[in-house]
Amino acid sequence: MSRKGVGLAAFDRSRLTSAQYASHGSSLRSANAAALETQLAVFRSLLHQFAATHAKDIRSNPTFRAQFARMCAAIGVDPLASSTSTGGGEGKGGGSIWAQLLGRSVNDFYFELAVRVVEVCSETRGENGGLIELRKVRERIMSNRVEGASEITEDDILRAVGTLKPLGSAYSIIRVGSKPYIRSVPKELNTDQSAVLEAAQVLGYVSVSMLMVNLRWARARAQTAIEDLVGEGMLWVDKQSGDEWEYWSPGFMLDEDQQHFGGETPS
Amino acid sequence: MSNPTPTPPPPTSSSSTTSFPFPREYSFPPFFTRQTNLTTHHAQLVKWAALVVAYCRHYRIFKLALSGTGTVATNTTTSITTTAGGDQQQQQRDTTELFHNRRINRRLSLADIREVIDFLRKDGRAEYVNGGGGDLVWIYWRTPEEWAALVEAWVEATGQRGSVMTLYELVEGDATLGEEFHGLDQDLLLKALNVLVKRGKAQIFGQEDSRGVKFF
Repeated sequence: MSRKGVGLAAFDRSRLTSAQYASHGSSLRSANAAALETQLAVFRSLLHQFAATHAKDIRSNPTFRAQFARMCAAIGVDPLASSTSTGGGEGKGGGSIWAQLLGRSVNDFYFELAVRVVEVCSETRGENGGLIELRKVRERIMSNRVEGASEITEDDILRAVGTLKPLGSAYSIIRVGSKPYIRSVPKELNTDQSAVLEAAQVLGYVSVSMLMVNLRWARARAQTAIEDLVGEGMLWVDKQSGDEWEYWSPGFMLDEDQQHFGGETPS
Repeated sequence: MSNPTPTPPPPTSSSSTTSFPFPREYSFPPFFTRQTNLTTHHAQLVKWAALVVAYCRHYRIFKLALSGTGTVATNTTTSITTTAGGDQQQQQRDTTELFHNRRINRRLSLADIREVIDFLRKDGRAEYVNGGGGDLVWIYWRTPEEWAALVEAWVEATGQRGSVMTLYELVEGDATLGEEFHGLDQDLLLKALNVLVKRGKAQIFGQEDSRGVKFF
């Protein structure tokens, strides 16, 4: 294309070409958008179809459910978004469609589970101060289920706790050491307290001198951290342990048992 | 958990033959120390109370001696009841294990035990024998009212209204074999029957060891 226009006509021609460029560009853009939209629509409908046909699997098969949830998360769709959330934005269809199509079953599954989690937490709050290991919650829920009910994974419980968010910050997942815990009291642990709880995971208990030796803490510091945790109901004191009082993590009330039954995976 | 104990042929209350499956908190050392935190302490009391009641129910212990050996007036083993001549079988069961876990070498102090008992008393699940703070305690894994209801239901079901029987017959006789109140402690039976008397459903007559009861 000649770029050397001469005379006034050249202005017209450049105007013409730029107009053509613009129109072509916009048509391309709209075509692109249309294609994308159809792709999205097809994808969404396929996803719906998939979800609808596999709703049963999603409910009953924990691995499948986890995979499905992961897939949805990867493509930016939240299958758990509640239908009441101001959803729909960003053209994703938001939670409402999910809730309409399959969400009812999947949502309900997690809501029911969330209720069970709340029950377990409040049942055990007296003995553990509102801090319970995720694994224990799962065990308790599983042990109370009727025969033949579908398996529940820790992943499910994590999601269920997530659904409690709109109710306020009381329920949250925190990590102590390497293990996830569900915290059902609005209380932050400071680093010292976390360290003590983490240490208590190892043997089941801690003592002041253990902390002094292993964490190189001054006596007062160890004592304060322990007393705080006892005050929160997160440690139990054992005064019959000989020279020094021992402070036990209530989570160990359950662990003992598992050693007996052999904690192997039930395969 | 498997039950490797050989099951006795007559299927009455065979509960006393298998050993009691202790809950997990029984192996938790601090369980035997009075907890300083109030909330924790309450959770601890609830667990102890449940344990005591479950333990007594398992072995059909009606009267628990806090100091250790429980005098258990049970006649649960059927082989005894069919042959036993007169006296109620007084079975001695060592119940020290309830408050003393030898494996982890922890024991609940007597003061703490009394606290558990008081907790149960508030709930109507325990009562000091002869009142006061003695060593013997009724543990009501069924309250006298509940026993009364069982007896009443049995009387009703077997059409024995208006009939007269001795207390001994009622808990030791062949007619009540297999009933849950079979082998019930005599004193406890009296308590239960008195509940019925108060309601005008029964009348007790006779002397100390030859009491009879009539149901209406």
